[in-house]
Amino acid sequence: MRISDIIAYLVTRRRGAMWMAIGGLTVASLMVLVTRMRLDTEVLNLLPKGFESVEGLKVYNRDFAQVRELTFALRCAPEDADKLEEFAPQFAQRLRAQPWCTRILAGAPIETPDGIRDLQSIALPLLLNLEPPAFGETIALLEPARIRDRLHRLHQEIEAGSPRPEMELSLDPLGVIGPALKPFAENASIQEEQPLTSSDRTTRVFLVVTNQPTIGAFDCQRLMEKVNAFCQTAATGWDGGKLEVLVTGRSAYVAEISLSMRHDIVITLLGSILLVGGVFYAGFRRWLPLLGMGFSLLLCCLIALAAGLLIFGELNMVTVGFCAILIGLGVDFAILVFGRYQQARDDGLNYEAAVRDAVSNLGRAVFFGALTTAVGFLALLLAQSGGFTQLGVLIAIGISFAGVLMLTVFFLFLPRRAPQIRHDWIFSTVKSYVSWTVRRPAPMLWIATPLLLALTALALSPRPRLLFDVSTHSMEPKSSAAGHALQTIMAKMPTRWEPVIGIVRAENPQELHDAWHKIAAHWSELQAAGKIKSFSTPAALALSPARLTSNRLRLQAIDFNATRQALQTSVVSEGFTPATFAPAFTLLEQLQRTLDPAAPIPDWRTELAPSSSWWFLVDRYFAHDPLLTTGFVSTNAPVETQDQKQMLRKELPVAGIPMSLSGWSFTLTDLVPWSRHQLIFISTLMAIFDASLLAFLYRDWRLWLIQLATLAMSIGGMIASMKLLHIPLNLLNVLAFRLVLAIGVDYGIYVLLVWQRATKLEHDVAGVVKPVLLAGLTAICGFGSLGFANNPTLSGLGVACAIGLSWSLAATIFFTLPAAAAVEPKIWREEVS
Amino acid sequence: MFKVLLAAVALLLTYSFASAEPLSPGELKTLLARIREKRSNAPQVQASFQEEKNIHLLNKPISSSGKVWFQAPNKFRREVTGNSPSVTVGDGQQLWIYYPNFKSAEHYSLGRRSPLDAGIAALTAGLNLENVESTYHLSASQKEKGFILDLVPRNPSMKRFLQRFKVDLNDSLQVERTEMLQPNGDRIVTVYSSETRAPIPAATFEFTPPAGTEITTPLGR
Repeated sequence: MRISDIIAYLVTRRRGAMWMAIGGLTVASLMVLVTRMRLDTEVLNLLPKGFESVEGLKVYNRDFAQVRELTFALRCAPEDADKLEEFAPQFAQRLRAQPWCTRILAGAPIETPDGIRDLQSIALPLLLNLEPPAFGETIALLEPARIRDRLHRLHQEIEAGSPRPEMELSLDPLGVIGPALKPFAENASIQEEQPLTSSDRTTRVFLVVTNQPTIGAFDCQRLMEKVNAFCQTAATGWDGGKLEVLVTGRSAYVAEISLSMRHDIVITLLGSILLVGGVFYAGFRRWLPLLGMGFSLLLCCLIALAAGLLIFGELNMVTVGFCAILIGLGVDFAILVFGRYQQARDDGLNYEAAVRDAVSNLGRAVFFGALTTAVGFLALLLAQSGGFTQLGVLIAIGISFAGVLMLTVFFLFLPRRAPQIRHDWIFSTVKSYVSWTVRRPAPMLWIATPLLLALTALALSPRPRLLFDVSTHSMEPKSSAAGHALQTIMAKMPTRWEPVIGIVRAENPQELHDAWHKIAAHWSELQAAGKIKSFSTPAALALSPARLTSNRLRLQAIDFNATRQALQTSVVSEGFTPATFAPAFTLLEQLQRTLDPAAPIPDWRTELAPSSSWWFLVDRYFAHDPLLTTGFVSTNAPVETQDQKQMLRKELPVAGIPMSLSGWSFTLTDLVPWSRHQLIFISTLMAIFDASLLAFLYRDWRLWLIQLATLAMSIGGMIASMKLLHIPLNLLNVLAFRLVLAIGVDYGIYVLLVWQRATKLEHDVAGVVKPVLLAGLTAICGFGSLGFANNPTLSGLGVACAIGLSWSLAATIFFTLPAAAAVEPKIWREEVS
Repeated sequence: MFKVLLAAVALLLTYSFASAEPLSPGELKTLLARIREKRSNAPQVQASFQEEKNIHLLNKPISSSGKVWFQAPNKFRREVTGNSPSVTVGDGQQLWIYYPNFKSAEHYSLGRRSPLDAGIAALTAGLNLENVESTYHLSASQKEKGFILDLVPRNPSMKRFLQRFKVDLNDSLQVERTEMLQPNGDRIVTVYSSETRAPIPAATFEFTPPAGTEITTPLGR
């Protein structure tokens, strides 16, 4: 018994069993979805694995406190700049009072009494961590004579009207805190380049660390709900013109992206169902087959989603687009099968025979169509990107099930009685075209071939260039409030470009100290040589246990009683108020206590208040694990070229110290070769697979050659269109090329396989060209609907695929068919129904 | 004796304030127009000064004297004489403070909207009354021989440095005395004399540290 006989038997005589099987499959899939549904919203999971820069970015995003940081900005009109300056402290106070706010940075910490007090609290360990010569110079300041000289001089500077004594005495009345903090202050320089107020004073920035429990999508959404509610009332008390309250940061992006996933699912799924359904109905004017097709496609989606969850455990955001793609692809089978079934019924066959005829005639084409598409999508595994691997596997599973369900379940929805024969204007038009082009292929070839060749030449030509966008902007969601906030802040603030980050993980504090000490020295040389613009490292805060011990011993040389006496006397003789020098006496006592080797040296981490604004600086260097750290390198120009990347990769590391280089710009530049590799190498592999399969299928070198030319010119038309329409390629929509190859080849297979076997041209060839046309249009609609997605990756992929498939369809109808007719002429015989 | 003198001064000040008549808005406008006209005819001024500072860091007031030169809009030079001499020169972009006794100088960059800019603006406000109404909330009163201007900063950054500023002008609209009150309680009273509006050589507002001077930049570059 042939497969077509079995299917026809099951569909017509065992319908109850078929429905039970469908019910079981549906329930099992739904169970998996309900119990295991987990969504992965991490955009970094779209990037390929195995890249040090990508892994570094993931570590930085996951393990450092900045992951919980939100940036607020207030923007006003120029005439309200003074009002904004007055309003800013109120806004900061309100932010501080929010239950989700752990700490806030509203201005330079050094300009606030709390910021100064916090620095004083961490001075002792930093003093003991100074390099031996610097430590020696600093403790020499505690000699009685030096103390007297210093206070006398400060008095004279006050008399002269210098602002320095007040600044110095408020922070460092003893004179040793300044030198102790010097390495820390030097490393903070890179932060000074990013002020919190724009030069025109119309924009002010506030950094907030939140207390969201996890960095997952749902916690981000919950946090942003509260933040957005706060923003609604944040301008209360503002009496100027329009005041914009902007928020950006990882949580803002994640909340937006995860919420937009829902939007993307609904929009792309509804869009593709409506468009595809519309095309199907326009082509066949039947409701029941449309319902059957919709049901079968939804069942495919359900099964594929459940299978995906079972395989991967969670689904990446990019996979939400798979339903739209699957509908666009699976509908091809329904259209082809129904076209053939309808034709058989029109020829007078009964229900069972028509099912058997459709399956036996198109089963092979559907099988190979599903195979090429599944392999095309499985090739996404080679991209090594978690998100795209899932997408590829889900679609491969889905399309395989679509092939099976369209040859079985779909028939359950078709009426048993013969449908009425109606006038079909699409078929008539297609038939007229097929008739004309098969009889006289030359005119069509003379029109289509030069046009397609010209487009291919344009695609290969170096000008105009195909845009390749590797900026971070290409990864941002469309119409994103967080993106708008970030762009507004970037436009207003004279910021430098994003730095390259170097991540170092050490086994113990001494190793960490030694590593950063060497790195800082090396980067300092690079800066002096002009290879980098500036840098900052956690070297000053990475304490060396060995140095703390040796410096502690050197304190024994100080006569603390004499120092205290000298300070006391000088304060009185110079007329200073005792309150000014109270912290100096406290620090002297702390220093004296450390003479005892058993006394613990305070750790700056525990001394620095949790609400201190200095944590904003510290947290940039240290992860939750204090042995995981980053340093920042500001380059002379934004990192955009491979030469820059190579130079940094060669110069920044220090021998013997494992360091991961990363940062968004660095990573995206690092991924350009990968992306080009995707474009060229894997698309070539795909083309070779297609070519081999076609050679096996046709066993006719002329048809094989025609099909290859069709594919080549389709890709040429796609590239030329993208050039002319200024649609950029980005790191991820380069994957569209292989998808177009995988799907586009099917159209040729359907037409040429039928052409090879056709005995009645008008019946067989026109009968397949119409479904191919409809299938192509539905696939274009399916991918085109992705263009409505907020997710730029999905949207870019959808638009690129829709363009490529348009050219594939056009090339199949206007080139493949006349070319086949030209090289293998067949006699046209008009039949009257 | 000192207490008697202090009481006499206080009485005199009380009398002078008690006898001051507040100016109406129209009169204030006329006064400012007169000041503007006078300044526009001669945008430069030089005078001797005597200053007394009550600073929270010190127990006792500090007295100093010297000479000051100013040229609108923002150039100035201030030389303090006596046991603790110093030279302060600002040209709008840079500020130098030079200590001859120590052979050292401090260098500051201006124009970054730092508290220092607000401080300099306050320091020269008495000499630079141009557009004073745009920077300060202004009220004025007439005294027996001249006027008293009471200035409260509008700009929040200046408010952080300056709480209130009082300028005494004589009949000829020359500055006689200024009194600056800062939010931290510091109070600086400066008495000016021998004011002239003769042209000032450009070199007065330039400063090059003498060879061997130790230069520091307390606020960075």
